[in-house]
Amino acid sequence: MSSTVNNLWLIPAFPLLAAAVLAVTKQRHRRFSAFLAIAAMAIAFLISGAAFLSTLGDTGEEGIWREVKNFPWFQIGKSTVQLGWILDPLTASMLVMVTFVGLLIFIYSIGYMAHDSNSTRFFGFLSLFAAAMLGLVISNSLLLLFICWELVGLASYLLIGFWYHKPSAAAAAKKAFITTRIGDMGLLLGMLWLYSEAGTLLFYDNGNGCLEASALTKLVAQTTVFGMAVSTGISLLIFCGAMGKSGQVPLHVWLPDAMEGPTPVSALIHAATMVAAGVFLIARMYPLMALQPEASVSASQVVHAPALSISEKERASRALAIVQPVVHDSKPLLKSAPPVPEGESQVEGKAAASQHGATSTSTALQVITWIGTITAVFAACIAVAQTDIKRILAYSTVSQLGFMMIGLGVGGVAVGMFHLMTHAFFKALLFLGAGSVIHGCGGEQDIRRMGGLTQYMPTTFLTYAAGMMALSGVPVLAGFWSKDDILHAASVWSVSRWPFYLCLFAALLTAFYMTRQVCYVFLGRYRSSDALSANSSSHGHHLPHESPSVMTIPLMILAFCAVLLGLIGTPVWPWFEGYLSGHHPSLSLGNLFESGTIQIMLISTAVVFIGIGLAWRLYGSRAVAGSEDPDILERARPEVFSVLRNKFYVDELYEATVIRFNAWAGWVCDWFDRWVWTGAVRLLSYLVLGFSWLNRLFDEYVINLGFDQGCQQVKNGGQMMSSLQKGQVQLYLRVIGMALTALLLVLTWGIGQ
Amino acid sequence: MVVIAALAVLAVDLLVMRHEPIRYRFLFGAAISCLGCFAAMFWLLNIDQQAHALNGMLVLDPLTRFIKAALLLLTVFTVLISIEANFTKHIGEYFALILLATVGMMFLVSSEEILMIFISLELTSLSLYILAAFNKQNINSAEAALKYFLFGGMAAAFTLFGLSLIYGLSGATNLHQISAALKGHGLDPSLLAGLVMTIIGFGFKIAAVPFHLWAPDAYQGAPTPSAAFIASGSKVASFFVFAKVMMLGFAGVEGSAFWRNLAPGWVPVLAILAAFSMALGNLAAIAQSNVKRLLAYSAIAHAGYALLGIITHSSQGISSLVYYMVTYALTALGAFGVVAVVERRAGDAKLSDFAGFGQREPWLAFCMMIFMLSLAGIPPLAGFFGKFYLFAVAVGTDRTNLGLLWLVIFAIAMSAVSLYYYLQVLKQIYVVPVPVSAPISEEAFPGPAITRAAIGLLALGVVVLGCAPDLLLGRLLAAIHGAGL
Repeated sequence: MSSTVNNLWLIPAFPLLAAAVLAVTKQRHRRFSAFLAIAAMAIAFLISGAAFLSTLGDTGEEGIWREVKNFPWFQIGKSTVQLGWILDPLTASMLVMVTFVGLLIFIYSIGYMAHDSNSTRFFGFLSLFAAAMLGLVISNSLLLLFICWELVGLASYLLIGFWYHKPSAAAAAKKAFITTRIGDMGLLLGMLWLYSEAGTLLFYDNGNGCLEASALTKLVAQTTVFGMAVSTGISLLIFCGAMGKSGQVPLHVWLPDAMEGPTPVSALIHAATMVAAGVFLIARMYPLMALQPEASVSASQVVHAPALSISEKERASRALAIVQPVVHDSKPLLKSAPPVPEGESQVEGKAAASQHGATSTSTALQVITWIGTITAVFAACIAVAQTDIKRILAYSTVSQLGFMMIGLGVGGVAVGMFHLMTHAFFKALLFLGAGSVIHGCGGEQDIRRMGGLTQYMPTTFLTYAAGMMALSGVPVLAGFWSKDDILHAASVWSVSRWPFYLCLFAALLTAFYMTRQVCYVFLGRYRSSDALSANSSSHGHHLPHESPSVMTIPLMILAFCAVLLGLIGTPVWPWFEGYLSGHHPSLSLGNLFESGTIQIMLISTAVVFIGIGLAWRLYGSRAVAGSEDPDILERARPEVFSVLRNKFYVDELYEATVIRFNAWAGWVCDWFDRWVWTGAVRLLSYLVLGFSWLNRLFDEYVINLGFDQGCQQVKNGGQMMSSLQKGQVQLYLRVIGMALTALLLVLTWGIGQ
Repeated sequence: MVVIAALAVLAVDLLVMRHEPIRYRFLFGAAISCLGCFAAMFWLLNIDQQAHALNGMLVLDPLTRFIKAALLLLTVFTVLISIEANFTKHIGEYFALILLATVGMMFLVSSEEILMIFISLELTSLSLYILAAFNKQNINSAEAALKYFLFGGMAAAFTLFGLSLIYGLSGATNLHQISAALKGHGLDPSLLAGLVMTIIGFGFKIAAVPFHLWAPDAYQGAPTPSAAFIASGSKVASFFVFAKVMMLGFAGVEGSAFWRNLAPGWVPVLAILAAFSMALGNLAAIAQSNVKRLLAYSAIAHAGYALLGIITHSSQGISSLVYYMVTYALTALGAFGVVAVVERRAGDAKLSDFAGFGQREPWLAFCMMIFMLSLAGIPPLAGFFGKFYLFAVAVGTDRTNLGLLWLVIFAIAMSAVSLYYYLQVLKQIYVVPVPVSAPISEEAFPGPAITRAAIGLLALGVVVLGCAPDLLLGRLLAAIHGAGL
């Protein structure tokens, strides 16, 4: 075992240490706190880099490079609860992403939080968050993952509510915490179920882990309610947790509200890391998620299954190369498919792969796909009608998370994770850019009161535009490749083609609302002067200004990544997929023309340009006149627009159903408490009082009197006995004689008969 | 024995210093006495042999050495609390008598021959009579001593009669031989009479009801250090020799005191004495207004508890008895020491004289609290463990039928009663405020530092032995094992 994996715990340990130190540092040590947090993060980044490099080594026959280190935590009865950490490509790539993006966000925060008097606390929370997130990524035990998961939730609660004096921020923090807790409930149940079935929560443990062949065989073999396999039930419960964290419909409501936190927080939590935790969880548990009982697809059928399209086999094999153990009755374990690149020479491998392909559309994955699809379209629709710069990004995030889920569902780990990676970079870029805009405009977040910022903040504009194009999926930029990957996988999904169409629609909307936003913010003329003049006394500056370089440089680095990162996963050279699944892809232009790849690319490019063009025509070609003007779409279809603006009334729906119900239940409980239970308690207390009254009487007149009498008797006895002692020696001596006689009498007659 | 010589020299030495001031003479005398005691103790602890000399007249084994060391320690403490007493000018005689009494006790415990036992008993008793009378200015002291003497003389007469009856029956004076001779012998009236008469003598020494009558008067009237010595050293020695005589000498005729299974012998007699002692001692103590008298009755009650140890007649019983008596003696000595301080200040030792003591002398009051609670048997203190061990052994003697349970239950109930009067003392010390009219003489007596230190040491010992009884018990058990009892 390499020293890298042994020392993997250092990665979260450094930020955690920084958080601990900052927790007791005084608020005025601003520079120190920033330095400490950033230094810790930088060290974590370096170690992550080392870990990443070590996973690049030769993988050998086993397929995936994976090392684990487990250790016992505590013992209950005979069972030992073990924790551990793991280093495999999935973890390594997440580590690098989280530490790198986190580091940039930390640096950016120096500028953004420059005017906040509590920046020490802020950096402390950020470090705590980073530590928890990194711990989540490296954990090899669902339990440790869950602990870190909850810590992440706590840190996000603290960060969203950082400006706790704002009621909306406090409410948003609560909402985020509670909503994600609902999902966590499912995760917890799933975890407990998994523990009771598999007997371990370790993912990999030399063949004994819950994601390894023996446990999976057991899990899939049992059925539970509705004829589901146990594995499916557990998967769905765990997916509940992922839904909460990753803001999937219907638990997405917290994410837009969480924009109340400082913008770097939004970037860190809602772009790069926390929301990705759900996706990561699914990716981590993929072997479990992908399990499908044999009953539906028997092995013999599968082997001679009607030809699936070649590309699907390929997809499936890539996906399931990660899922090494797949279960069959006669063949206990099919090792990962051999490297499945192109060419007809490996028909057998593909046959095997197709076998896996059938199992890959398990019930759990279908659910994931559908939920992801709904989320993607739903959130994209809402984003079209929003006016808050950060809320648009938030809904965009929700939508993109849906994309990731689709990717996981239809394409496997690599597809979903690839989008997660690229999205982390360009969404962090967009959030930080938005933060820069807000910073420059003196706290303004409403895009209707911006405009024309290109001239004031050129760097921000350029980087923002890069991020926007990456998100929209303009060709060659990062988002294009990853989204195309998902679309491709969806287009060949065996279950249904609806996700593919809906994905296309969501992509169109994405391009549309991003263009709309950019037009509003950066084009036209600055519309806020009237508002500003009214508030000029409170704001120190009249006109927007460019942000300091400590903020713009991270933007530039992120923009660079957003443009180029996609190149690690193009169909021509799918390095990232190969890395995750443990084989070496080769550079081949042939992939481009195989299995409809190029068609999908063309379709998606067309869709993107339609979206951009449409938005440009509506918003860009003529400048938006005033900040109070209604939106063009609003003028055209006011009723539809208001539905979208009000987010499909989901909050109101919850207000009217869940919360109303909750309040009603609370009221009922209160009523019960006040009248029924209180009455009962009162009654009981009266009974007790009455009883105690009786008791007191008894005590006073029977026991006490009796006791007093007894004591008095004892005392009298004492008096009497001491009065025996009259002080006359004659009497004393007589007593001796009497005692002798008495004792002799007792001995001779008293006893013995 | 070397001890005697050392102690005799001491006594002579003291006579030379007639003209020094009393204070220095006390200090000097005490120093020599302590030195003598420590020398003897050192010598005792260093010889390591077992011997039976002169047909069992003197026995040397680990157990007797242990007891002797304890006696010497108690003597040292008695001497220490006597320092700066103001009741006599005859310091040399006073210390010499204490030491002579100690010698008597040491002979007493190391003898297994009834004549020798009687002689040393008399040596001890006579010294103690004089000690009780030592306060010549006080008529009470004389009265107490006279009562003590008369009662003691009567008891001694009975004992001698009893012993002669025993001798007549067995033809032997050695305890082992007596026991062997009595083995086949039935319980005829003459043996019974001898038995009961012998018990009377020891009953007098340990102040068991109904041979306790001297104790309250003597304790109250005698100078407090003398009373303390009577209550501590003399008790330990008497109990030990009592147990030895009964268990060795009358091994065949113990009878039984088990519930529903009584059989004549010395055990039921002792059981009766124990029950009466516990009842009368505890109940009468409630009615007392003088702390010394109260301690006297409490001593009677404790004699009742301790008799349980003899009644069980086993080696466990011996060890529990010795442990109980040694810790009791330490506690009683400490309590008397505190009483002596109060008495010197207030002129008397009535309960009301203790009012406000907690404020005036917080340290001594705290020590007093420890002694009182230990006497009452409150857990972390030595008295608790002693009682616990004693009762546990008593219950354990007849495991199947719990024959002695009745006596133990009675003892526990009586110790609950005892808490009342011990708390009375503490109430006076801590709760009742200082009477306004009390004579203000606090500055006149800053309190003897050595006495305070001695009392503090005793309190510490009580706490330590309570918390870690094994310190004493381990050695005791080893000694008993070594003595082959």
